[in-house]
Amino acid sequence: MSFPSQTEEQALHERVLRGDSLSWEDVFRVYLDPLIQTLCRIRRLSREEARDALVDVVLSYLTHPGRFDPRKGRLHSYLTQAAVKKTTDTYRREEARQRREQKFGGVFELLARTPNDSLEITVEARLFMERIDRAGLPEKDRAFLKLVLQGERSTHILAEAIGLPPAPEADHRREVKRHRDRLMKFLGRLGKEDRDVYP
Amino acid sequence: MSTPDWLEHAAKRCQREPLTLGHTLEQYRQLERLSEDALAHELNCTRETLHWMSLCRKPDGEDFRAQVTAIAQRHEVNPLALAKVIRHVEIMEGFARTARDQPEATARLRLAARDRVDGEPKDEETTS
Repeated sequence: MSFPSQTEEQALHERVLRGDSLSWEDVFRVYLDPLIQTLCRIRRLSREEARDALVDVVLSYLTHPGRFDPRKGRLHSYLTQAAVKKTTDTYRREEARQRREQKFGGVFELLARTPNDSLEITVEARLFMERIDRAGLPEKDRAFLKLVLQGERSTHILAEAIGLPPAPEADHRREVKRHRDRLMKFLGRLGKEDRDVYP
Repeated sequence: MSTPDWLEHAAKRCQREPLTLGHTLEQYRQLERLSEDALAHELNCTRETLHWMSLCRKPDGEDFRAQVTAIAQRHEVNPLALAKVIRHVEIMEGFARTARDQPEATARLRLAARDRVDGEPKDEETTS
């Protein structure tokens, strides 16, 4: 299976430029088999991979035939080069995708805790909560602490939890902050005791 | 010559390329809700012939007739049947374009069409 002569290629290219309907089919008929063989040989691709790339390349040439300049070389060389470039781009895109996935996988692995770690944290958190209960914190403080640990930041809600009477917003904010600081100090002391007991 | 192994894939790929006859044939198949075999039957050809024709550039412009005749002769299909398929798709695409660009024009067209349905009772007759 071989490529047509330069004169035949030139004639076919001119038919494509004129918008001859059958010339499109002829380009497929003339070039696809020898181009698939060439691409498989020089790029070590499977026949399907070469076929997929070449059908796209041939269609790209047919829809934009003006991009091919016959003074610069033969049509089959132009199509081969375009197919090589396309398969290289596809290969690089695939490689980049795999790299991204590996990177993401690595980060995920670093951040994710093992099931054992996760269980230990749950157990420790429960033991710590039991210690807070035993420390004799008033009910309002425990409710406040629970909200803070859940990430609640609204002054209004936190003020309500500790039963502050209606007052201007600034007063509420100051009181809530004072309350939070006191409880954080309490937690700090509890944690220190913990470290003293279990070094 | 045996059928090349790339033909079906290439024909399918051409369905996504608006300048190909394959795109037009696919549009027609969807508009008329035909299977590939039914379309081949309508054009009195084989599925393989449909695939080869799909690779052609869609006939267009001043030499539409000559292009359709050339395709029909090479693939031994009826040129009138092929031209009818292409024109049908072009007309439907034209309607779709109008509907998209001038929605009020198609609304008027629909109203006019409704007025001309024979045998339909008029509004005054149906209201009691």
